[in-house]
Amino acid sequence: MAARTEPPPYPVPWTQGRVAGWVATVDHKRIGVLYIITSLVFFLAGGVMALLMRTQLATPDTDFITRDSYNQLFTMHGTTMIFLVVVPIFAGFANYLVPLMIGARDMAFPRLNALSYWLFLLGGIVLLGSFFAEEGAARSGWTAYPPFSAYASGNGQDLWIVGLHILSISSLTGAINFIATIHNMRTAGMSWMRLPLFVWAIEIYAALLVIVLPALTAGLTMLLLDRTGWTNFFIPDEGGSSLLYQHVFWFFGHPEVYVMILPAMGIISEVIPVFSRKPIFGYKAIAFSTVAIGFYSLLVWGHHMFTVGLPFGLQIWFMLASLTIAVPTGVKIFNWIATTWRGNLIFDTAMLWALGFIGVFTIGGLSGIFLAIFPFDWQVHDTYFIVAHLHYVLFGGSMFGIFAGLYYWWPKMFGRRLGERLGKWHFWLTLVGFNLAFFPQHFLGLLGMPRRVYTYRDDDLWTAYNLVSTAGSYVMGLGILAFVANVVWSRKHGERVGHDPWLADTLEWYATSPPPPHNFDKVPYVTSARPLRDLRRRMAEQDS
Amino acid sequence: MSAHSETPHGGGHLHPPTANQSSRVDAPTLGMLLFIASEVMLFGSFFTAYFFVRVNAGAEWPLEPFELPKFVAGVNTAILVTSSFTIHWALQSIKRGNRAGLQAGLVLTLALGVTFLLTQFREYSRVGFSPADGAFGTIFYGLTGLHGAHVFVGLTLLTFATIRAFRGHFTPAHHHGVEIPGIYWHFVDVMWIVVYATIYLL
Repeated sequence: MAARTEPPPYPVPWTQGRVAGWVATVDHKRIGVLYIITSLVFFLAGGVMALLMRTQLATPDTDFITRDSYNQLFTMHGTTMIFLVVVPIFAGFANYLVPLMIGARDMAFPRLNALSYWLFLLGGIVLLGSFFAEEGAARSGWTAYPPFSAYASGNGQDLWIVGLHILSISSLTGAINFIATIHNMRTAGMSWMRLPLFVWAIEIYAALLVIVLPALTAGLTMLLLDRTGWTNFFIPDEGGSSLLYQHVFWFFGHPEVYVMILPAMGIISEVIPVFSRKPIFGYKAIAFSTVAIGFYSLLVWGHHMFTVGLPFGLQIWFMLASLTIAVPTGVKIFNWIATTWRGNLIFDTAMLWALGFIGVFTIGGLSGIFLAIFPFDWQVHDTYFIVAHLHYVLFGGSMFGIFAGLYYWWPKMFGRRLGERLGKWHFWLTLVGFNLAFFPQHFLGLLGMPRRVYTYRDDDLWTAYNLVSTAGSYVMGLGILAFVANVVWSRKHGERVGHDPWLADTLEWYATSPPPPHNFDKVPYVTSARPLRDLRRRMAEQDS
Repeated sequence: MSAHSETPHGGGHLHPPTANQSSRVDAPTLGMLLFIASEVMLFGSFFTAYFFVRVNAGAEWPLEPFELPKFVAGVNTAILVTSSFTIHWALQSIKRGNRAGLQAGLVLTLALGVTFLLTQFREYSRVGFSPADGAFGTIFYGLTGLHGAHVFVGLTLLTFATIRAFRGHFTPAHHHGVEIPGIYWHFVDVMWIVVYATIYLL
């Protein structure tokens, strides 16, 4: 065969060009990478917003940014992190990994998949572009409660709604695609009980999105119509009800929380056994607890509304149902701990993030149990206690899981490992900074500091806690910079890897790193949840 | 399973890998069913709004000065239900290779769907209140308008199917392009019966 120095004798289609190869691609791996990179860029944008807010709050009675800008910032920070970072980055992981993990050639609907990504990008541009709208971006928080959001002047709120509509369509088409792929594209022998736990998590992630996103779409459509002055869904003077919006929104909003944590738990369930050199403890318990969490999440939305005056019986119901979720969540945590028990632990960066997840997420889970008890919630509702809780589960949970996944699968995606040295700086700076930033906020909340205020009066403890919190946020910022440096560094200097650098057991490690466009030349017949371990054993038997 | 049994253990498959479907529903149909599930939740949210507003009002319904044209809407319901039968006829025809039946069924379905929409527009222009007339007007137009939009989407899908039917597409073996819009059309139809029963009769 001649060496490939001459151009190929056949015309290369324009869709395989350097740029067009990414723009016109329908390959699940490229779309997955696009998702992840785009989400990480939005993550940096959302992080800058957070740092601006923390700078404003560092000292009392400050005018670093105006009240109006502050309101825009906390609205857009929340919306960005939820809709432009955590949800789509999991779509990115799922895009890249689900077909590989189940031994498929691609997703069930590759073109729909590309549409999902480009709608995500469009929605992100519309959302962030709303900073330049008349009177700036939306100012009513990521929850956008009417009546304020129905009457807020300027176009920022309208663009916010339209942006979320676009993102909802993107997520919905993506979710349908994941379910169809998982149900119809599994390779021979890949039964439900042999499915990697990450794929289980994505199945429930997608099912929840299909069930609850339409509620958001409905609520936002009604809000948009109310803003035109034509309708009265949420206008109390005309017989509408602003409480209705809260019910519709939180019917979506609470399962959305699990949409953002279940895939992270799926990642942890993949990482912990590999770096403990042990099979996962309680595979079925973890898989079924995922289903249970998904189911219960649909029944607990009222715990966000304990202060609106729900009937007493309903408050009891929402409290008990919310407490029940702690059971399947605890099942997972104990299973992960049991997996590490007497394992041969390898403290690579991916494992550090996974272990960090267990610790930090558990703190967030426990404060969640406090909040499910409504007399306690009445006391701390809309205070910094809530801010602390939600960051412990969303940053300490989702983002720690995402970083674990990035360090774990980066070699598969790019053929090179992320650096361990910078990785450890990244982890320790972020872990320390995160706890410095958010642990004091529990106390701030108990001392009565309300969330969403742009400044506060001088008070010994408030001032001290806020200053510590701001210092912590800067340390976290440094940690994220270490990650960016690591990504840049690894492009050239990252250690090159073969198929399976971690000696992992799931099918994605059977393909080359990065995998060819068609993923697999052949797929081994799957006989257990750990197909590569079975393959190694068969090969060892043949050798002897 | 017989396809896999040639290379059970240890062997491999030449690509593309054999798919292990867990159901007999193929991916495009499953996709449409999932989409319909999400549509049910969308309508569910609007029904929630309807009952929330209605229970909140606590008064006679429809509110005093307003009246709803039950009879005209009932006739319209009959028209839409009929179109479900015609689309079924079209699908059964192509399954038996009867192209004329397919074309006639699709054209009839389109005609009935358009008639339904036109009747609804006429109703809107004569019903005597607007979406701005309190929460009652809002929720009436909200639910019927949401449904009307879905009829429009269904008609758009069926228009493509009809054009393809006249261009000679679809065979007894390949008729996804009729079947899947057909499933959607049945959903739109069933949803209308629920909307009609709730808004006009209940």
